[in-house]
Amino acid sequence: MSLREELEDFYTEYSEVIDGGALERWPELFVEPCVYRIVSKENHDKGLPLSLMLCESLGMLKDRAYASKELNVYAPRAWRHSITQIRGREDGARISARANFVVFETLPDRHTQVLCAGRYLDTLVRTEAGLRLREKLCVYDAALIPGSIVMPL
Amino acid sequence: MNSRAWPAEGDSRVPYWVYTDEAIYRREIERIFEGPTWSYLALECELPKPGNWKRTWIGEKSVLVVRGEDGVVRGFLNRCAHRGVQLCQHDSGHVRQFRCPYHQWTYDLDGRLLGMPFRHGVKGVGGMPAEFDFSQHGLTPIRIAARRGGVFGSLSAETAPLESYLGEKMLAFYDRVFDGRELRLLGYSRQRLAANWKLILENIKDTCHASLLHVFFVTFGLFRVDNPSKVRMDDTGLHAALISERGKQELNEGTRQMHSFKQQLTLQDPRLLDTAREFPGDATVIMHTFWPNLILQQQSNTLATRQIVPRGPHEFDLHWTFFGYASDDEEMTRRRLRQANLMGPGGLVSMDDGEIITRAQAGFRSAAEAAGINEMGGRDYADSDHMVTDVALRAFYRGYRNVMGL
Repeated sequence: MSLREELEDFYTEYSEVIDGGALERWPELFVEPCVYRIVSKENHDKGLPLSLMLCESLGMLKDRAYASKELNVYAPRAWRHSITQIRGREDGARISARANFVVFETLPDRHTQVLCAGRYLDTLVRTEAGLRLREKLCVYDAALIPGSIVMPL
Repeated sequence: MNSRAWPAEGDSRVPYWVYTDEAIYRREIERIFEGPTWSYLALECELPKPGNWKRTWIGEKSVLVVRGEDGVVRGFLNRCAHRGVQLCQHDSGHVRQFRCPYHQWTYDLDGRLLGMPFRHGVKGVGGMPAEFDFSQHGLTPIRIAARRGGVFGSLSAETAPLESYLGEKMLAFYDRVFDGRELRLLGYSRQRLAANWKLILENIKDTCHASLLHVFFVTFGLFRVDNPSKVRMDDTGLHAALISERGKQELNEGTRQMHSFKQQLTLQDPRLLDTAREFPGDATVIMHTFWPNLILQQQSNTLATRQIVPRGPHEFDLHWTFFGYASDDEEMTRRRLRQANLMGPGGLVSMDDGEIITRAQAGFRSAAEAAGINEMGGRDYADSDHMVTDVALRAFYRGYRNVMGL
């Protein structure tokens, strides 16, 4: 299997975990030490350090997943990731991956909307369980988020 | 709108038409945002050098703030004096002059019209009339007030100076955060919410919801209704500060030992809530609402302004600007960035607010004649030393009715 095919399989699983509502499995796709960030293109381009979501350990990923699934109060919704233009480069023990993402969101009484679109700038490693994320940076394009981002991108 | 009558119960009831009626909204724009008020526009640290500009808003109006060659921050409508084209479309930048791309009318940083191509015609034909007065066709200036790092603007000549507009009591709260230290910009979050703009101010003034809606707070023992708390307001009722303290255990030992009193849950990684005292006094959280468009938050170590931009009765934009102090060490900056997880469009706490006010707006849409009830804690307007009260909402609507003539 080529690296691109491996990455495609990984991102397919990644999107199925989130879109399928199995957020408690989301941290399993990372390996410690890990960093997960959602950053606006504006902050990213200007070199500003603020994240919209920041998890600096498996523990923080689990806390976020738990909060999103059990604690936060938000309207019911369907999410659908589309992850495309996947490219990867293996450099020793690390794989740098780039991809485009779009998240479609469907809310009650509303047409399906694009919640946001952007780029994944990721670092993965090989483990016995398969590819796992060491760092995931989601840079979203939107100047204004329509509503809220209630789950990880 | 003329058929709209405020409920007989008075300021403790809020008729839903104030959130849905187009004519009410137009009156708000005219009397509030374009009236004698100071709207928050920017932080001075966003304009570090002469020529730095930022695109911002007063009500629905797009506004530019720019630092001049003399170091003074000035404000203009973001509109070319020629044909009304928006001068700037990016969020910020640096220029020597503003030049409209359409016909290249050019302005200096003070907003003066410097010139345009073909002014004297081409090969003896055309050109602007000889009597065309450049001094009458600069950018439209707006009044600016800057205080200790915050920049405000007003479209009205009647607006009192910022200090008396906020009043001594609220100014003391403002100065607690803007204490004269240089600020450091950490970043922006921006969202559009399908709700009336007043609802986000109400959300901050509504003390009761924090321990009820925000299950995250409660689960991890961050906030309980019995935490020592105060509500402080100005005479108009429009500005307010909500002050609360966390438990002493948290203050003394950080949050590593916090448990939910119900569920005994702990964070897998308690660094999220590893707060540090940095302001004098016992307050750990002060949420300020400064009429009409600013929420200033000091939520433990996250400092942010939230600027409200109304977009019709059913929508508004919320622009979050997170900041710290230039003197912060790396650890404090990390703490601010980590705690920012609670705030913004994906905030562990704030997402609940954005979602619930959207849900409230959905409720109002089909019930303009019904009214909300703000009677927790009675029907008075006095400062409170507890949070089991809607007093800041009553005071807000008393002030709102005065301004709006309702």
